[in-house]
Amino acid sequence: MKRRRSLFLHLDQLRILAKKFALVILFLAALLLMLLSKNQETTVTNMTNGTTGAVIMVVDVLVAPAKIVSWIYDFFYEIGTVKKRNVELSEENKKLRLLKDKYEALEIENKLLAELLNFAVMPDVKYISAKVVAEENDAFAHSIVAYVGDKSIKKGDVVLSDKGVVGRIDAVKSSYAKIITLADINSKIPVMIEKNRVRGILSGNNTIFPRLTFIPLDAEVSVGDKIVTSGVSGVFPAGLPVGQVMSVSKNEIKVKLFAILEKLEYVRIVKYGIDGLINVDDEAGNE
Amino acid sequence: MSDEFDEKVTTYFQKSLPLLSSIFFMLLAFIPLNFNLFYNVRPDFGLMCIYFWMLHRPDLFGLGTIILMGFISMAISSAVAGSSLLCYLCMYVLVYNTQKLFNAKSFVVIWYGFMALSLLSMLIKWLIVSIYYNQFLPLSMLMLSYLIGVVLYPLISTVLAFIQNRFIQDDGL
Repeated sequence: MKRRRSLFLHLDQLRILAKKFALVILFLAALLLMLLSKNQETTVTNMTNGTTGAVIMVVDVLVAPAKIVSWIYDFFYEIGTVKKRNVELSEENKKLRLLKDKYEALEIENKLLAELLNFAVMPDVKYISAKVVAEENDAFAHSIVAYVGDKSIKKGDVVLSDKGVVGRIDAVKSSYAKIITLADINSKIPVMIEKNRVRGILSGNNTIFPRLTFIPLDAEVSVGDKIVTSGVSGVFPAGLPVGQVMSVSKNEIKVKLFAILEKLEYVRIVKYGIDGLINVDDEAGNE
Repeated sequence: MSDEFDEKVTTYFQKSLPLLSSIFFMLLAFIPLNFNLFYNVRPDFGLMCIYFWMLHRPDLFGLGTIILMGFISMAISSAVAGSSLLCYLCMYVLVYNTQKLFNAKSFVVIWYGFMALSLLSMLIKWLIVSIYYNQFLPLSMLMLSYLIGVVLYPLISTVLAFIQNRFIQDDGL
């Protein structure tokens, strides 16, 4: 009887202690979560990725009324401009037909020359379109969430907009993909200056202008130079438009991205043939 | 029996309104806007909700709510896991220890309080995440987010006050 009483007292004391130190414990737990998230494949990351799908679905529902209003506005706006647009598109179509013929001729020529040189052709590129359902731009992260549906999308796949590279896939869970944009502090992609093929790394810093790093000191870089992907790591196809040099100073080279990260509605995910940045299945198999 | 059940459901719904409204506003910050205003920097609606409910209904807004908000933020955001939870906990502690100062005070005083406490919470988060990355994160983006939050607080608090006055009744809670 005595033992049981002391046990109850013990539990009560524990409860009071837990209540007293709940805040301290929670603060420590938050710090621990931060430390654990350094390792990308921890249970913490898997757990949060698991709930991402459910949370994003709610965001998608919240967007619905705004989308209806936007659709009505676009519908009436487009009616007013449809004739003008039709003329413009007919003109554009004529030009594109000419370009298509040129492109087909060049493709055949390229194939013949590649065969002559015994050139190893890079894997085929496949594109998947995805709708942006959530976005985040602040001092702590720059990312978007897109509805991908396609299960073949993997971590590390490249994401493009109609203007240039947007970023890469960070995680895929239940038909949704978290995409780290080029502005994010975790984003580092191999790029080169198009005019002189000088290679470097485009590093995000959570501002809207990422920096160009690891550029040789004697490299000639000037404002307005076009930056494209170098394809060095094998994850990003070479030659994708990224941005242009905005400012050059002693300490840093700032780049203005072609993709307007604040106005993304749809993105294209590039399946490069090579499995994503990290093939989790292979890694697990090796272990 | 049915009336009793209905009453219970209503009470639970009323009790969970602070949490539901906070989650709603938190998720609102992630909706794509498709227009480039202030570089699309968003305020931290979670901090506004914590401040409001902790001042007005601390009985319905406990640590469990903060933890849930932290985890939801972690699920959707790409920021370092746990950083939002840490920021929300800071706000919780700050409001918990200063709420007596804002009792029966005018809205302007409460607004000033939000300015001070949200700034402190955001700076703590900024400092810890900067240490995590071993480099200072852009303070300008943080300040922009903070200022938008300060400007929007009266609007958000009006909506939350409406929810409190219209849907949360004291009897039965």
